[in-house]
This record gives sequence, C-alpha cells and structure tokens, in this order.
Amino acid sequence: MEEEKFLIERVGKQNPFKVPEGYFDTLTSQIMAKVDAEKDAQIVEIRKVKKAKSVWLRPLLYAAACGCVLFVSVASYLSHEDQSIAAPAESTVASVQTMDYYSFDEAADYVMIDNQDIYACLSSEY
Amino acid sequence: MDKNNDQQIKQLLSNPDTQRKGFELMVRQYSEQLYWQVRRIVLTHEDSNDVLQNAFIKAWNGLSSFHGDSQVLTWVSRIAINESLDFVRRQKNMTIVSTDEEESCVANTLMADDYFDGDETEAQLQQAISLLPDVQRTVFTLRYYDEMKYSEMSQLLKTSEGSLKASYHIAVKKISEFFKSHD
Repeated sequence: MEEEKFLIERVGKQNPFKVPEGYFDTLTSQIMAKVDAEKDAQIVEIRKVKKAKSVWLRPLLYAAACGCVLFVSVASYLSHEDQSIAAPAESTVASVQTMDYYSFDEAADYVMIDNQDIYACLSSEY
Repeated sequence: MDKNNDQQIKQLLSNPDTQRKGFELMVRQYSEQLYWQVRRIVLTHEDSNDVLQNAFIKAWNGLSSFHGDSQVLTWVSRIAINESLDFVRRQKNMTIVSTDEEESCVANTLMADDYFDGDETEAQLQQAISLLPDVQRTVFTLRYYDEMKYSEMSQLLKTSEGSLKASYHIAVKKISEFFKSHD
C-alpha cells in the first residue's frame, strides 16, 4: 500500500506521547483505589435502599401496633360491658328471691300461721 | 497476549470471593496497553488517565455482563475504546469551532503539551487522525501503531474484517492527502 509507505517514511511509527515518570508503577494501585471506593459506595447505596425501605415500612408497623392496642382495648371494654349487664340481672334475681321470701312472710302473717304450724303441717303430710 | 493469564483472570473474575483479586490482576496485566489505546484517541495525558480509570470502573460495574465468551483483554479494550470515543464526542460538542480552527487547535495543543515528545510532523499526524470519523480513527490507531491483526480487531469492534480493511485504507488515504495538501 503506497500511501501507508508514504506515511511511514514521512512520520514513522514511533510513539510521540510521554507519561509522567513512574506513572505506570502506580497506575494499578490508583485504579484499584477507585474501584474500592466504587465498591464501598455501592455497599452504602444498598444499605440506604434497605434503610429507605424500613423507613417506608415504619408507619405501617406503627399503624399495626395501634390497631392491636385498639383491638385489645375494645375487647376488654366489651367484656366489662357484658359483666356489668350480667351483674344487674343477678341482683334482679336476688331481689326477686328477696321479694318472694318477703311475700311468703306476709302471706303467713295473713293466714295467721307461725313457723311451728308450718312445720307441723309439713310433717303431717309425710 | 498470554492465554493462560487470560484464563486465570477469567476464573478469578467468575467467583465473587476472588473477583477483586482477578480484577487487580487484569488491571496490572492490561492497564498500560489500554492506556496507549486510549491516549492515541484522547491525545492528552490527563484526559487519558481519567478516561482509563472510568473505563475500569465501568468494567467493574459491568462484571456481571462478562460471561467469558471473549478474551478479557478484548472485553476491557472495547469498554476503553468506547469510553475514549464518548469523551472525544463530548469534547467536540462542548467546543464548536470551525474546521480550520479545529485543525490548528490539535497540533498547537500537542506542541504545547509537556507530555508530547514528537516534532511538528508527528503533531500534524495526530491532527490528521483527529479529523477522521470515529471508526476510521480507531482502526487507524490500532493498526498503524499497535499493528493489531484484523481478526483481533474484528472481535474487538464487532465489525467484519473486510469493512475494517476498507476503513483503514480510507483513513491512510485521507491522512496522506492531508499531508500532501499541507506541503
């Protein structure tokens, strides 16, 4: 190829560029320092993403905790309500029983019988 | 290129526990060769240093995409060359100047550069190379200075050998014409 010969004769193939002294001696360590920095930056980035995810999930955790507290509170309130409804029922029964006992005495007075008459009456039947 | 070394680097890179060691071995083995490939496209030392370091960072971040189908040097060379061409394109977009200014700009910058050891003719050659389109520029530097085989270049640039040969011939012709027009 004639043009190539012309160039080689005219300019040659020697490298016209230089580098600072000792440049290639430190090049590997320079590059590896950058690679390590990049690696560390990637680790920090991954941690940040994980942290960002946990920050994003935090309100959900709080909401879940609030929900649990609310549920327990409502459940305990409702169980107290049941007890307070049940308690008057018992007192009603008691009052009914008291009333029954009371009315029996009144009835006994009305028919002018005392306890001895009642016992005698009951024992004569058996 | 030592195939055993390439194989050893591939094995180390494929294991997450030995990945860093493999990468360091790769940098030690190929960084000088890659620096010169980058430098011939980017031209100044400072920019070449930045471009090379960025290329290795890209290679590190893209390790998962390297499946060992090609040689390690081919893979990392491709990254370095693409990074160099991207840099040159960005630089061209930042400084929109006329063709005449661009021509004199490259040669003058090189002659004033402490890390350019060539004479005016060599500066003119770099100027002529810088005016070539991306592919011709890359093919010319890889063939003219590194004397890279077309088969190797074909794997590196993912282009057919015939098309690379054509690009080289056109590049040489353009550079010769540049010199003849400046005589």
